[in-house]
Amino acid sequence: MGKNQLGEFEEIVMLTVGVLYGDAYGVSIKKEIESRLERKVSVGALQSALVRLENKNFLISKEGGNTSARGGRPKRYFTITALGKQAIQQTRDMRNQLYSAIPEIALDVRFS
Amino acid sequence: MKPAPFRFSIKFFRWFCNQNLHPSIEGDLLELFEENVKTKGVLRAKWLFLFDVIKLLRPDIIKSRRQTSHFNQLTMIRNYIKLGWRNIARQKQFSVLNIIGLSVGFTSCLLVFLYVHNELSYDTYHTKLDRIFRVLHAYGKEEPIAPEGYQVWGGAPVGPALLEEFPEVESFCRFTSPNIMLLEHGENRFQENNILFADSTAFEIFSWNLLEGNPATALKEPNAIVLTQSMAKKYFGNESALGQVITVDHKDLVTVTGVMEDLPSQSQLTFDALVSMVTFHRMRPNIFGYWGYVDFYTYVQLSQPSAVQALKEKTKTLYGHRIPENVGAARLDYEPMEGSYLNSVASRQPGPTGNLTDIYMISCIGIFILVIACVNFINLTTARSVERAKEVGVRKTLGARRRDLAFQFLAESVLITLFSVILAITAVAFLSYYLSQLVGKPIAYDVLLTWQSGLLLIGLTLFIGIIAGLYPSWILTKFRPTEVLKGKFKSSRSGSNLRRILVVFQFSLATLLIIATTVVYNQLQYLKNQDRGFTEDQMLVIDFGWDSIVQNKIQTLKNEYLAHPEVVSASASRAVPGDFFPNAHTGIEDSNGDLLYHGPAIYEVDADFISSFGMEMAAGRSFSRDFLKDSAQSLMINEAALGLYGYSKAEDIIGKRFEQWGRQGKVVGVIKNFNYKSLHNNVEPLAVRYGQALDLRKLSLRIQSNNMHRSLAEMEEIWNKLVPERPFNFTYLDQSFNAHYQTEVRFGYIFGTFTSVAIFVACLGLFGLTVYITEQRTKEIGIRKVLGASAASIMKLVSKEFLILILLAMIMAIPTSWLGMNQWLEGFAYRMKIGPGIFLTAIFLTGLIAMATMSWQTVKAAHKNPADVIKDE
Repeated sequence: MGKNQLGEFEEIVMLTVGVLYGDAYGVSIKKEIESRLERKVSVGALQSALVRLENKNFLISKEGGNTSARGGRPKRYFTITALGKQAIQQTRDMRNQLYSAIPEIALDVRFS
Repeated sequence: MKPAPFRFSIKFFRWFCNQNLHPSIEGDLLELFEENVKTKGVLRAKWLFLFDVIKLLRPDIIKSRRQTSHFNQLTMIRNYIKLGWRNIARQKQFSVLNIIGLSVGFTSCLLVFLYVHNELSYDTYHTKLDRIFRVLHAYGKEEPIAPEGYQVWGGAPVGPALLEEFPEVESFCRFTSPNIMLLEHGENRFQENNILFADSTAFEIFSWNLLEGNPATALKEPNAIVLTQSMAKKYFGNESALGQVITVDHKDLVTVTGVMEDLPSQSQLTFDALVSMVTFHRMRPNIFGYWGYVDFYTYVQLSQPSAVQALKEKTKTLYGHRIPENVGAARLDYEPMEGSYLNSVASRQPGPTGNLTDIYMISCIGIFILVIACVNFINLTTARSVERAKEVGVRKTLGARRRDLAFQFLAESVLITLFSVILAITAVAFLSYYLSQLVGKPIAYDVLLTWQSGLLLIGLTLFIGIIAGLYPSWILTKFRPTEVLKGKFKSSRSGSNLRRILVVFQFSLATLLIIATTVVYNQLQYLKNQDRGFTEDQMLVIDFGWDSIVQNKIQTLKNEYLAHPEVVSASASRAVPGDFFPNAHTGIEDSNGDLLYHGPAIYEVDADFISSFGMEMAAGRSFSRDFLKDSAQSLMINEAALGLYGYSKAEDIIGKRFEQWGRQGKVVGVIKNFNYKSLHNNVEPLAVRYGQALDLRKLSLRIQSNNMHRSLAEMEEIWNKLVPERPFNFTYLDQSFNAHYQTEVRFGYIFGTFTSVAIFVACLGLFGLTVYITEQRTKEIGIRKVLGASAASIMKLVSKEFLILILLAMIMAIPTSWLGMNQWLEGFAYRMKIGPGIFLTAIFLTGLIAMATMSWQTVKAAHKNPADVIKDE
């Protein structure tokens, strides 16, 4: 626990950046999340999360070369840092730990 | 055309988005947009783009306040000014010292600027100035002719010949030299000394505005006169002068055909009235066709300024055969009217000339004063830096960057400069009147009120503020907060080396000025005490301006005056020393027996002139009534003319033949050199001939009286009894001769005044520093006193360092000032030697002033009761 905490959406973004390894930039991340999780992601929400994650040093970004598409604007590629890796690991461990601590009966829907 | 999102949506996005993020996000948005265009249609894509932009309005994406530089800067500047003001108000003594010093510096600088601007803008009011040229003439000179060999004065036919033969000459205007006329209208009768004859083109070429009358025709007709406004007032009061008739010299009538605005004070050529040249033509028609008669200033207006080069070449031989053979060769040259007031070196100027060296020297003082004031500022501020070290430490700890601190200090110094400039401008408004008095001519203040000057002043404020604040702010912001806050700093002596250098620099300038002033004053004294070769005391000179009534009665007048017991001698002549004089073409027999022609100055005098003026003969005799031939067949020359005709001994030329202005005869005497121009010039060749009644203009009376006032009244009474037609118009010879040094005397005053100011400012700085040093060392001094130090030893302790610095400064100033002042002295034919005495005086003076300034504070410090000082914890 502690400062390496990730929010739900942040975690999804982190994981997606990992999934897209090497090709993670705004649009690709958005599409990946939308297709895998079947949920709408706004550019604003995504970018805001990316900025936050970068400020926490979980991600670093690098501008790629300009292309004639996209109005000549560069793509910003994200990669996970060591700290970021630690953070998703921690989040995952925490979930696993919680999950494994659930008594079996609690998940038995027959008793609910 | 490719579809694009709404323009405003992109603009909006760019406006709010963080600078670092905006390119990549915009790229993402555009990529999505392109995709949406394909899948969902253009319009929907546009709207979706806009929604996406709106949804980007999040704190993480919007640019932070730190990045909105515009808004932030303004607040900080406001803050700087506020803090600056508080600091100025807190350290009152030093702020006052700084502001006084700087504002005195600025005031002097602005006054100097006004003066220099005034000198530089002579004649600039003529709209055709760039096309107006003055014709220069050189007579009987061997080639090549130095620029000094030319004179502005020339013959009458030159102007018309230039107009006729050379198409680039559009127009010309000739002026005669000043004439003396007795003008009379009703009750008003005055002798006017500055009336010129002028061609009718005067108002076309020069920008002189007529208030009444037609500029095109005003000077066309004979007997027409154009008065200046103040002249018209003098004779006609508030009546209209146009068409009025004025009597000239009792007999001639002239009609006023125009009234012009008074000449701007920045005119080299000055006059009170212009009479049409045709009038002069009628009086002396022969000289208008004679190339050898020299009495005209000729100005030409060319089609374009560059035409002058070609004209110079083409008119080289214009004089050619036209000039009488015995005059020798004659050459023409041209100089632009623009700047001729300052730059012309030709002789026979139509008016006063300026002096570039003087202007340079005065500008230097102005800049020196400002520099000294800035040095004060830098010195005081760095000296005080210790006090503010803690402030800097705290600010730095609280996160101030070095740049912010530097801005803070610069803002303070700009603020102080601004106060000083405002004070200075106010002071100049009051002082410009005194400046006019000092330089003896009106100085316009309104140059400072133009927008250019406004910009200049703002620029100067910022510049000086930043220059003066740069070093202190650099020193102050360098402090390390940890050291400063621990209190370690007090012992370090940051900036004291620079302070020493600046003090040396400052006092070098001050010493330089003191030496310069001493030289200027001594030179003026030297000039005044020069032997002029004649006695000028108690000599009353009555000017009757060639009035024929007086001329006819001259012998009676002399006899009447000589009958008065207080009149020692009386003499009539054309001119007296210091006056205007003509040159005459004069041939004297050389050692081979041929007549050798030159153009020395001439005097026309009577038999009593030499004895009356106390001049001495080197050889031969003076004119005498005992020799009847003297009145037409004798000539005297001065020693300077000997060499001109190839003689070395005065005796040798006696008895030689001469030919001059229609007279022939023998040289009878050689006069010892006397100074007939001014002491700027060496005595030049002079021929003295016997003046017929018609040639006489002045009557000189040597008077021995205990009560000059009463004697003068009696002289006037005699005059009015004999020649009531002519006003009694007198001067004292010593005064009128000294008037030639008016410029130098004025220069001396100006120089002295500004030097005092410079020294005052330098002392202000020294005072500030001593106050600071003694304050710093209060405790040390107290302890020393307790341990038995005497007041004298303490004063020595405090002032020793400065005294050494000042001595060094003085030594450095000597060579520079020696070089500079020798250069200035070059302008005088009679010049003093700069000896060690002058330097010693200056060093003594500077030392004394510096000591006095410091002792004010050191005495106080040395006599403080140690008990009061040490207990203060």
